[in-house]
Amino acid sequence: MSSSTEVNTFANDELTVGKWFGNVWTAIRTVIKGMMITFKYVYGVKPVTIEYPEVREELPKNSRSRLFNDVENCISCYQCATACPVDCIYITAVKRDKDAPALKTKSGTPIKLDLLQYTIDTALCCYCGLCTTVCPTECLTHTTDYEFAQYTLDEMKYDYLAEDVKAWRERIVK
Amino acid sequence: MHKEIVEFLNKEVAGCGASTTEVEVGDASVVVNAESIKPVCFALRDSSEFQFNVLQVVSGVDYEDRIEVHYILASFTKNLELILKVKLPKAGKDEMVKVESVCDVWKSADFQERETYDMLGVEFIGHPDMRRILCPEDWEGFPLRKDYVVQEVYQGMEVNPAHKINQGDFDFMAKAKLDAQNPKLISGSWAGHVSPELSDALKRKMESLEK
Amino acid sequence: MENSNNVEKLHTDLMTVNMGPQHPATHGVLRVEIKTDSEIVAEATPYLGYLHRCMEKHCEHLDYRGVIPFVDRMDYLAAMNMELGYSMAVEKMLGTEVPERAEYIRVIVSELQRIASHLMFFGTYAIDLGAFTPFLYAFQDREEILRLFEELSGARLLYNYFWIGGVWNDINDDQLRRIAQFCDKMEENVKKYHDLVGMNKIFRDRTANVGVISEEMAYQYGASGPVLRGSGIDWDLRKKRPYSIYEKFDFNTVVGKGEMGTLGDCWDRYYVRVFEIFESIKILRQALEGIEEGPVMGKVPKIIKVPEGEIYLRTECPRGELGYHLVSDGGKTPYRLKVKSSCFTHTSMLGELGKGQMIADFVATIGSIDIVLGEVDR
Repeated sequence: MSSSTEVNTFANDELTVGKWFGNVWTAIRTVIKGMMITFKYVYGVKPVTIEYPEVREELPKNSRSRLFNDVENCISCYQCATACPVDCIYITAVKRDKDAPALKTKSGTPIKLDLLQYTIDTALCCYCGLCTTVCPTECLTHTTDYEFAQYTLDEMKYDYLAEDVKAWRERIVK
Repeated sequence: MHKEIVEFLNKEVAGCGASTTEVEVGDASVVVNAESIKPVCFALRDSSEFQFNVLQVVSGVDYEDRIEVHYILASFTKNLELILKVKLPKAGKDEMVKVESVCDVWKSADFQERETYDMLGVEFIGHPDMRRILCPEDWEGFPLRKDYVVQEVYQGMEVNPAHKINQGDFDFMAKAKLDAQNPKLISGSWAGHVSPELSDALKRKMESLEK
Repeated sequence: MENSNNVEKLHTDLMTVNMGPQHPATHGVLRVEIKTDSEIVAEATPYLGYLHRCMEKHCEHLDYRGVIPFVDRMDYLAAMNMELGYSMAVEKMLGTEVPERAEYIRVIVSELQRIASHLMFFGTYAIDLGAFTPFLYAFQDREEILRLFEELSGARLLYNYFWIGGVWNDINDDQLRRIAQFCDKMEENVKKYHDLVGMNKIFRDRTANVGVISEEMAYQYGASGPVLRGSGIDWDLRKKRPYSIYEKFDFNTVVGKGEMGTLGDCWDRYYVRVFEIFESIKILRQALEGIEEGPVMGKVPKIIKVPEGEIYLRTECPRGELGYHLVSDGGKTPYRLKVKSSCFTHTSMLGELGKGQMIADFVATIGSIDIVLGEVDR
């Protein structure tokens, strides 16, 4: 950078006519230099923004967005609730009858507890991902959905045993 | 290094009672008497051997019987770092403990001491502007003390109202247990957060079942 | 004669103006109560706490892994560097060996984060002084870093990527290649940006000789990082007390020289930050060469119990030194975690710096110390 050796004349007490014109000249020169860079951007650089509602960005695969629990594979081990730093996962389960038909998860782990309640308050969730990493059956996952704004706080509470939330399953679980 | 500092301090500041202990993990520290903290700090800053020219942290830890105030000093010229401690006996809940301010030694002590005052209730005598810094002026209690309880109402607003901490979800398990024939089969993730009336009812039910 | 007597009789008073908490120049929710004598600041008192979440108290109730998301939220513009210090402190107490590859990834990622953070400074500082375009250029480059972080960790801002014992996900060759490309591009771009903003006469006049922090004052207030280096003090923790694997890399410490005016003015601090990007690129290139295959997670017990004791560990973050004072009683949660935040100490300088400045210069001064209120209030 050639111009970095220049001394800033603003600080000097005495302002002579020569210095005044020197200042004006430096100002004009540096502004022109800056404007040239700006003009290069106007015509030389492709836009990086997208027109959002029409064009939607595809998030990377392991992006941590809305949580989904596939309750059919959940063994109610409470590990996610224990790991959660903000305590936003609420689980209640009841022991399965011995006479009831045996259930297994996709990976073959026997299900010994039936879920009564599996609720996540996404308004409290901090999307840290600690719950998904401890999940032994990998039924609790972060999806890549990012549009889930709601009008009230109650709507942010997802009851994964409810039918409408279960309906996501077809889209998410492959 | 700590032994040299202790030797130096005991020679330089009479009655400071500096001592250090060997530790297996982590960093060792130097403990001095609370009365002589200011001369000790002056001595450490001005010594040609150590030149602790920067005060990094003033903080505190609340123990059962005492509050320890930690001063973490660093020397940017000699590349050293030291944890200096004073132990102040605790009087009671929300009672101030007092120690001399080191604002004259390092100006950075100003904000740091205010934070310690705010969070732990340590009053620094001789501090020019002893006010709360992070909490509002009219806040009650000192949050980083172990026996701290959040005030229930602050300026007419309820702190932690039931609907914001999802009391209904916490109570779900207790309600399910009350409804079930055999409550022992039901388990849940948050046993500790149940509202008192439900937990009383549950206790009565469990007792009646045992009979 | 009579006229001048009247002027003397005129009673003038200081006017109190609140700058903030919602003010574009305070970079968040800082309130500075300014007593002004016409256009000149007679007294400036910073009021903090608008973003106070008492994270230190929260940590006392969380297990050691659960603290990391909270640590992220302190300096949300350099969350990776915040995590690095904390995870290193716990590892040192546990005696955990971090695999070589994980160390390399940590260095690469935290240097990228440093570039992102300095770009953010560059952009917002230009906005503070009335130039809007540099902000967009800086964000364009920062976006690439954030995109990479999103692929690595899954989040754009609050990563939870450095875990105790290593890092969460491995980095792949494609990503490494992209970082190398980014380095080349960034080197060109930063030169351009410096010509655009730093060399501009108007910018120079706004920042040179403004908000001068002398060496003595920097020590007195415990300044660190670019603010300290801007005052001409050659102090970089990565060089003086190397942590992680920084001793393997060859790079220089950028120190302010007082080129445009007095040593320690706003321009010097700007200069240190922008030229640190070049040093970060140097480290990145060496790290990209040195990285080898291997595991990314060390052996850590399932339930972490840190042995009784205490540790104070400092790391060099984009905004200055970050220290973690961890006191453990041998339990599953930290007994006390004190965070030494550089922004907090820098904020305490504002009172002295502001005295006697014009209000517009005060804005330039606040911008130049580059505080993030999340870290100030914690």
